[in-house]
Amino acid sequence: MKLFRLTIRHLVLAFLVLFWLIPIIWLVATSFSADTGPNIRSFFPTELSLNNYRTLLFGMDDVARFPSWFRNTFIIATFTCIISSLFVLMVAYAMSCMRFKARKGLITFASTLSLFPGFLAMIAVYFIMKSIGLTNSNIGLILVYSGSSGLGYLIAKGFFDTVPSSMREAAYIEGASEFKVFVKIVLPLSKPIIVYTVIAAFLMPWMDFIFANIMLNSGLSENKTVAIGLYAMVDKVRINSYFGQFCAGGVLVSIPISILFIIMQKFYVEGITGGSVKG
Amino acid sequence: MKKILAVFLAVSMLLGLTVTALAEDTVALLVWVGDDADQAWINGVIDNFKAANPTTTFDIKVGIQSESTAKATVLTDITAAADVFTFADDQLGELVNAGALQPVSLNVEDVIARNVGGSVAASTVDGTLYAYPATADNGYFMFYNKEYFTEEDVMSMDAMLAKAAAAGKKVSMEMSGGWYMYSSFAGAGLTMRLLPDGVNNECNWNATDTPIKGVDVAQAMLDIAGNSGFVNQGDGEFVTGVKDGTVIAGINGVWNANTASEAWGDNYAATKLPTYTAAGQQVQMASFAGYKLVGVNAYSANVGWAMIFADFMTNEQSQVSRFALRGQGPSNIAAGESPEVQASPAIVALAEQNPYATTQRVGGNYWGPAASFGAIIYGGNADGTDLQTLLDNMVAGITAPVQ
Amino acid sequence: MQSQQTTPNHGKKHAIVRVGQALISFFAQFFRDLRDGDLWVRLSLVVFGAGYFRRGQIVKGILVTALQAFVFIFYPIALWPYVSKFGTLGTVKRAAVFNPVTLKNEVNDFDHSFMILLFGLVGILVIAAVVLFWIKNIHAVRGLQITDENNRKILQEMEKLEQLARQNGADAQELHRKMQVLKANTKRINRFSDDICNLFNRKFHITLLTLPSLGVMLFTILPLLVMICVAFTNYDQTHMVPTNLFTWVGLNNFKTLFTQSQTITFGYSFGRVLSWTLIWAFFATFTNFIFGILLAMFINNRKTHWKRMWRTLFIITIAVPQFVSLLLVRNFFANTGIVNTIFASVGITDFLKQIGLLSQSYAYIPFLTDPVWAKVMIILINMWIGIPYMMLIATGILMNIPSDILESARIDGANAFQSFRKITMPYILFVTAPYLVTSITANINNFNVIYLLTNDVFVTKDQLLANSNAQEVDLLVTWLYRLTQNYYNYKMASVIGIVIFIISAVFTVLAFRILIRGDREERFQ
Repeated sequence: MKLFRLTIRHLVLAFLVLFWLIPIIWLVATSFSADTGPNIRSFFPTELSLNNYRTLLFGMDDVARFPSWFRNTFIIATFTCIISSLFVLMVAYAMSCMRFKARKGLITFASTLSLFPGFLAMIAVYFIMKSIGLTNSNIGLILVYSGSSGLGYLIAKGFFDTVPSSMREAAYIEGASEFKVFVKIVLPLSKPIIVYTVIAAFLMPWMDFIFANIMLNSGLSENKTVAIGLYAMVDKVRINSYFGQFCAGGVLVSIPISILFIIMQKFYVEGITGGSVKG
Repeated sequence: MKKILAVFLAVSMLLGLTVTALAEDTVALLVWVGDDADQAWINGVIDNFKAANPTTTFDIKVGIQSESTAKATVLTDITAAADVFTFADDQLGELVNAGALQPVSLNVEDVIARNVGGSVAASTVDGTLYAYPATADNGYFMFYNKEYFTEEDVMSMDAMLAKAAAAGKKVSMEMSGGWYMYSSFAGAGLTMRLLPDGVNNECNWNATDTPIKGVDVAQAMLDIAGNSGFVNQGDGEFVTGVKDGTVIAGINGVWNANTASEAWGDNYAATKLPTYTAAGQQVQMASFAGYKLVGVNAYSANVGWAMIFADFMTNEQSQVSRFALRGQGPSNIAAGESPEVQASPAIVALAEQNPYATTQRVGGNYWGPAASFGAIIYGGNADGTDLQTLLDNMVAGITAPVQ
Repeated sequence: MQSQQTTPNHGKKHAIVRVGQALISFFAQFFRDLRDGDLWVRLSLVVFGAGYFRRGQIVKGILVTALQAFVFIFYPIALWPYVSKFGTLGTVKRAAVFNPVTLKNEVNDFDHSFMILLFGLVGILVIAAVVLFWIKNIHAVRGLQITDENNRKILQEMEKLEQLARQNGADAQELHRKMQVLKANTKRINRFSDDICNLFNRKFHITLLTLPSLGVMLFTILPLLVMICVAFTNYDQTHMVPTNLFTWVGLNNFKTLFTQSQTITFGYSFGRVLSWTLIWAFFATFTNFIFGILLAMFINNRKTHWKRMWRTLFIITIAVPQFVSLLLVRNFFANTGIVNTIFASVGITDFLKQIGLLSQSYAYIPFLTDPVWAKVMIILINMWIGIPYMMLIATGILMNIPSDILESARIDGANAFQSFRKITMPYILFVTAPYLVTSITANINNFNVIYLLTNDVFVTKDQLLANSNAQEVDLLVTWLYRLTQNYYNYKMASVIGIVIFIISAVFTVLAFRILIRGDREERFQ
């Protein structure tokens, strides 16, 4: 009886997993299809071929310039990651471990700001960037993504809150400055949340297409990011010739992101539930 | 020490002069074409242009911007848009109102004289020419598979639908889209067009005092939608349907001519739009005449050279090469008379449809309400709303002042 | 803190009164500083760095004066032209004449309304910042003066003591002790290197917060202020810059939002879209929450093997970027897409027609094109994306539940359902309550799911909605996006944005008051 219930339990799980993964399986299957449009007659493609990957990676088609998109997005993601993580950790430490007059006010103000929908400011950000002359460039996007990243400090702050103040106080008594405490004591203890912050910041430019769409409006394909490029492939006009390549691009993009995500999820859970300083 | 300083100053002055001289000479242009397939053609045009103007150095970049969405990209930030861009003629009004187009100021008479009258009319607002006509084939007509239809059948929609239903196939048209829906109403004599202010519309599609009333047309559309031989499809689905044989005729445009001719081979044929039945009479379907135009950005830094380039890009030689490479019907009169152009069934069909085609002059508030109405009709008017009410709501939306 | 426990009304009143009192005392102090200050303090009104020079803080004095010079030179040149036109947002329209000789357009010096708005705002903010700095500077200089005078007085006293002691020949130790006491009362006037040191110690928060705050100012606050201002202008398709000008129209746009006539249907659309937004936010959050927890518990159960593997497989669905998976699913469920083909061939479509769920005129299931079907599908697809996320979070929480409580419950005879209801569920709710609140607010603004699934695919059959460019499945954000991107109706979009903010803010404040949070940081630390 026990074995039966055990099998049922795992069968249910397997069925759920399969159900969840069906579209992903379709994505991978279609990326190997010889037909360039979405295959609507059958779930698995009737003919298999590596054409989609080949054209995507090596064809110099102006609509599909995957290598330059990948390079652009990678550069943007790297720099955004560095600046963003620094900002987030700095703000989180200040809000969590330091006490100053404006602290509570700033916390309330920050949470108020995040209640505004982001796109409202989009057109204004575009004009600000334009007056500096940084639209249609990687630098512009890096600034846009990392500029306000300081507002996303909540999770990191939650983690810093769990660092026992006794440790910091001991260091003060020994004469360490606040700066030293930050760098030499709190940061080394916060490895999980640092990893989480870094990876989350790195992933963001790969997934965003709204801001990138507004900033990259020269029509020149080599300036695009992966998100915009792939999005342009599935509009009504192009979908029949480019859907296969879209799927191939989706698979290529998903692999590194999945790996990063799996690494991140371990730290994400620890971060959200407030910490493992015990370990 | 003083000598070194003097030499240094002299050299830097020279460098500075040469740099500025070079900078003055190089004309930088950004050109947008509609499709990746146009790249080969435009690169040829650019080479010819540079050869024709050997004294100036050019730096011409090419970007891709679909013609049907050019307006959106241009209007988001006009000063960042290309110096020269291609767009479909229905966007002319909004582009002119936003001040994005430079009025043609060089060689105007020649441009007007060498292009087909309809294309010039489509490029003109208030007597000023705002764009260079490039193609004259952006309208729509009827494709059909000769295997199933005779030349008699394709004269009337009813006959075609009957044949299609009998064969278990479909006749396709994007009835729920405002662009194609125009054909039913305009054919019946009802009007929908831009007001002289260039922004808002006037529309009498809900008229009850015309020979054929608005409700008659709406009822006719409902009947067609309910016919088992008819399917309402967008462009993508039309292509799929043609390729796998479920669609044997369709109302579409020249951009899908290649697909049809590949799928149907020798049975590929094209003709003007058929007639349909409204209020018991046979009414010829009208259509929008469509043109692709090349516009010059009024905010371009090199607006003069941009105009010269646009002129070159749309002259007879360029239009002939464009037809050769892309099969797009030229607006240039001389180019249009060549035997190759005349042999294309699509171009011939467009010429047959031309007497019933109107220039596309619509204000921005047309598309949303029209699409909504079309969706309701194609859905069979499931709610059973009174047709007159549907029409009144649609006209209210179409004629609402643009905000 | 006392104020957290008081009733909402008392709390609000205290806040407003407190702010008012703070403002009054701020300005009162300014005038007191000027009245009591010496010549150098008053000189600092004109030359900001004067007071610092007098008290020996040379570097700080130079820095402050240089900053003042920079602003006073930069402002009239760069910003004043915009601020002066702020009231009208520009009056000179663009006029260009083509010159066939130079092959260029000759353009007049025209006004660009949006730039005037943007840089005018920057100018106003700069003025506000300068005034604030000016007042604080006076206070700082006055503080320096007091310290310096204090120090001198104490030094004089120490000299007097010494003199007295020498005259009277008093005890050296006693003298030394008294001198120490006096010296302790002197306050050091910082050298520049001391100030730098402080920035890494007591004032480290300033160093930490400067750059991020600048970023937030430039990329969030300033754009938001600009767009809030746009809500009070008539910036729309008939007033497109740079060719046209737009100007202030006061509260007109807000009136339009609540109007309902046959041609202007914003009021109608607003009501519909708002109600769907709230329904969606509620359903999206709670379906994900409940099913995510259930799934997490299912996997986390003692009896399940290969827990990690199951979890990783679920994670793969969220690792694929949302825009890829959503666009994919949009095609998956298209009217002529693969699911419809399979369903039609298997007979499910006909079955649905028979039981009346599908109207007869359809040959396919309109997953994403019929309003009712689309709403259901959107919630289901959102569950597909969101449940693995929730499962992750719930897993972490479940693993943190002190296992002894559960063990003792089991020993006492409670079955699985009872321990879930009385122990697990309350604990999870307690830990995730803030997360739920932010999740609802985030879902109110959940643009991706709706936009990617229905853009280009869904056509509204409600004509009144169509007349204001809205759709039945729209959230307020997607409506806002369409108004800006496709119809350039920036003013109405800004109005809607402000309304979204008000709704979210009211909801968040109410929700948090209900939850009564104490000051949690100290509890953990």
